[in-house]
Amino acid sequence: MSAIFFYLATVLVYGAVDAMACLALNVEFGFAGLSNFGFIIFQAVGAYVAAALSMGPWKSSNGGFQQYVFGWHLPFPFPWIGAALAGGLLALPFVFLVGKRLRGDFAAVGLLVSAVLLNQLVNNYVPLFNGAAGISIVPAPFQGFWNPQSLGYQFAYGGVAAVLSILTYFLLRRITESPYGRSLRAMRDNDIVADSLGKNLRVQRTSIMVLGGMIAGLSGAILVGFINLWAPGAWGYAETIVLFAAIIVGGAGNHKGAVLGAILVPLGFEEITRFIPPLSNPSLIPALQWVAIGLLIILFLWFRPNGILPERRRILSGGEVLAPAPATSNDDGEPLINLGNLDNMDFRSLLRLKGDAGEHDVILSTEGLSRSFHGVTVVSDVSIQIQRGRLTGLIGPNGAGKSTTLAMLAGTLAPSSGKIFYEGRDISSMPSHQRAQAGIVRTFQLASEFKKLTVLENLVCAIPHQSGDSFVGAARGRRHWGREDQENIERAKEMLDGFGLSQYADSYAGGLSGGQRRLVEIMRALLAEPKVLLLDEPMAGVHPNLAHKIGDQLTRLVESGMTIAMVEHELAIMDAFCDPVIVLAEGQVLAEGTMAELRAKAEVVEAYLVG
Amino acid sequence: MSVFLSSLGFGLITAAVLAIATVGFTMQFAVTNVLNLAYGSVMINSAFVTYYLNLHAHLNAWVAMIGGVVTGSVASYLINRCIFTPFQRRNLPPITIVIVALGVDLCGTFGLQAIVGGSYFNYRQSPGRQWHFWGMYFSTLQLTIIGIAVVVLALVHWLLKYTRLGKAMRATSANMNLARNSGVRTQMVISTTWIISGALCGLAGTVFAMDTGVFDATSAQLYIVLLLSAMFLGGPGEPYGAMLGAVTIGVATEVSAGFINPQYKEVIAFVVLLGMLMFRPYGIFGKEKTL
Repeated sequence: MSAIFFYLATVLVYGAVDAMACLALNVEFGFAGLSNFGFIIFQAVGAYVAAALSMGPWKSSNGGFQQYVFGWHLPFPFPWIGAALAGGLLALPFVFLVGKRLRGDFAAVGLLVSAVLLNQLVNNYVPLFNGAAGISIVPAPFQGFWNPQSLGYQFAYGGVAAVLSILTYFLLRRITESPYGRSLRAMRDNDIVADSLGKNLRVQRTSIMVLGGMIAGLSGAILVGFINLWAPGAWGYAETIVLFAAIIVGGAGNHKGAVLGAILVPLGFEEITRFIPPLSNPSLIPALQWVAIGLLIILFLWFRPNGILPERRRILSGGEVLAPAPATSNDDGEPLINLGNLDNMDFRSLLRLKGDAGEHDVILSTEGLSRSFHGVTVVSDVSIQIQRGRLTGLIGPNGAGKSTTLAMLAGTLAPSSGKIFYEGRDISSMPSHQRAQAGIVRTFQLASEFKKLTVLENLVCAIPHQSGDSFVGAARGRRHWGREDQENIERAKEMLDGFGLSQYADSYAGGLSGGQRRLVEIMRALLAEPKVLLLDEPMAGVHPNLAHKIGDQLTRLVESGMTIAMVEHELAIMDAFCDPVIVLAEGQVLAEGTMAELRAKAEVVEAYLVG
Repeated sequence: MSVFLSSLGFGLITAAVLAIATVGFTMQFAVTNVLNLAYGSVMINSAFVTYYLNLHAHLNAWVAMIGGVVTGSVASYLINRCIFTPFQRRNLPPITIVIVALGVDLCGTFGLQAIVGGSYFNYRQSPGRQWHFWGMYFSTLQLTIIGIAVVVLALVHWLLKYTRLGKAMRATSANMNLARNSGVRTQMVISTTWIISGALCGLAGTVFAMDTGVFDATSAQLYIVLLLSAMFLGGPGEPYGAMLGAVTIGVATEVSAGFINPQYKEVIAFVVLLGMLMFRPYGIFGKEKTL
């Protein structure tokens, strides 16, 4: 009978360790979009450090038959603390892989290969890790006072492990269900856009990798204190794939899903195969286990890509039941959007505009700005000046370098040569998130909504200076940021109401029509409180009637002191709203002036007709 | 000096195997934008087919090798057609496809292990007589491997440079939509590329087994490190870069193994890979395709 209890205690420990690992990996992968294919080495390092800290010096312990570092004989809980710190520190060398805009899958294979190689090194390098044999006789916590083989000890151990995994669950939920968590999910959905709205990708990714590494390290410490063994063979890179399978099965982006996945996949597979009688071919069962993991990944991603417990949609609007969108559309099939409230919207207070109308000094300018892509010059020696409180238009034929110029102004692209000045400061080498924080916000030509954020979340996440939008702020809890967040939500709702999209507040932005997504993008950029708003073809795909309504609002914004520069193909829009207009052709400034002046210039007309 | 030269000789053999493998791997990435991490499992499955045909069905070694090549070709085509293409139609991010590829890799590697068991297999061919050039020693077998690599890479060069298909492949790789709009049958090109690159994969697996002599179902798992390093060094999706990268990595790992502990020889490949990802993720001569 007691064998069953011993078994249950073991299952409890393993379950808690797997749950912690899956929760941590889920925050990295499911929330922050970091595919940490090397996750298992964080757990392995934690386990090793906990073992090496709790054991005595290797030369004098057990006749010195195994080698390891530390050997400080530290009492509990110091080895576990050391393990968490080691897991967190291990994240730092990998920051360069995930910190910049490296393709997610490239960064992932870098981490995968790191895991493979580190395992290989540990297997072969005896002085540090005792080679492939690993370390045994790792002391259990409190083993001098309490017999680790007693049932009471084993259950107490399982209890502590379970409590730690529950604490992990609540800590991670506190982080992810905050404005910071919203920024993490925004980064997951589209990192370049999150960057352009002022999110520091490097800091966000680093903090999450350190946090995930710490939890992984602690989970490794719990495991090694229980099984009293550490061997590199148990930490192969494929173990990470098992954890990924768990998250895919349970549901990425859902903490409960991660726990469910941990119970079903790593724990479930391990425990079920215990009950299969040994076969003549000893590698058959483990081999089939791996095949099953592989199939599980493929089949789940195909048939149930969001897992058993999919990511929850966050209802921010306060839960009032909103009427479904009226299915009205005009003859062209473009849904009619009621912009009735827009004219009454007080942009100055809503967007906290400070500038005075009528000041037209130069706010943003370039000197000899150039950019080439593999030898082809796209923008060549462009010097332009954008005046405060004006709506400057940028026109030109396809390939004239308009979008490239805009991207360089916003910092999305680095110039090959030339300088950019903003309010008198040289910002040529300032990263784009800092420019956004300084007030230069751009929109994108292609759809750039955060697909798996609701419309309201898309808007709120752009608002700057949120006290909950940092790791520390999020950790301080809702009491710290809740009231302010509610105010931000109200602001976003007001904006949404003005643009007539209130009924979509809690819909995923990815499900909207093209024109509606455009509006979401414009609203989001406005809520980032720009001093200079750079719009890249904002009217593309928008019905002409609506385009004119938006144009009217842009004029109002400019009159309230905002500066706007807009790339646009539609000359009618330029005619109606933009002054001055800069004409680019073949990467160079061709002319500048009001539309009326430009129409009089033969070379401008020719460039357009020829282009 | 003699250590250097003899390890250089080893390096050329490793490079020959690696070049065949990397060219296939990078071609798959070029046309489909998939980092096919299941590549190693297809290699080792092909190697087992060759082994079985040669030593158990008693076929001639060359005929057996063709069996391995066909296996790699068919398996790669099917993996792309039945798994990667349907997933890509759903417009998923590249990382999802990479995770799928890892799942395929597990199925391929451990499915094989479930059939053949966990023990090592001996595929030692008769090495033939020893040849001696400039302080380097080669067996006839090793010279054959290098010869196969040279012939195959020349064929790939001819294919890419002088055939319509090669031109279509390069066009598809540079810009699939533009290629399609210009009348290239991109689906056909992609399928053909997977058949050809799969053949290279199968061949690479076979010569890999011939070169190491002893292998098991999981032997190719570490090989992905060399493969990725060689590809990223030359620029992902660049067949010529892959050849150059493979020669560099192959020689560098073996030469470094001659001077440090051979058990750490992959470390240099690893350092190269991380360095490339850090500073030049699109290769030494590469250019960024995205954005």
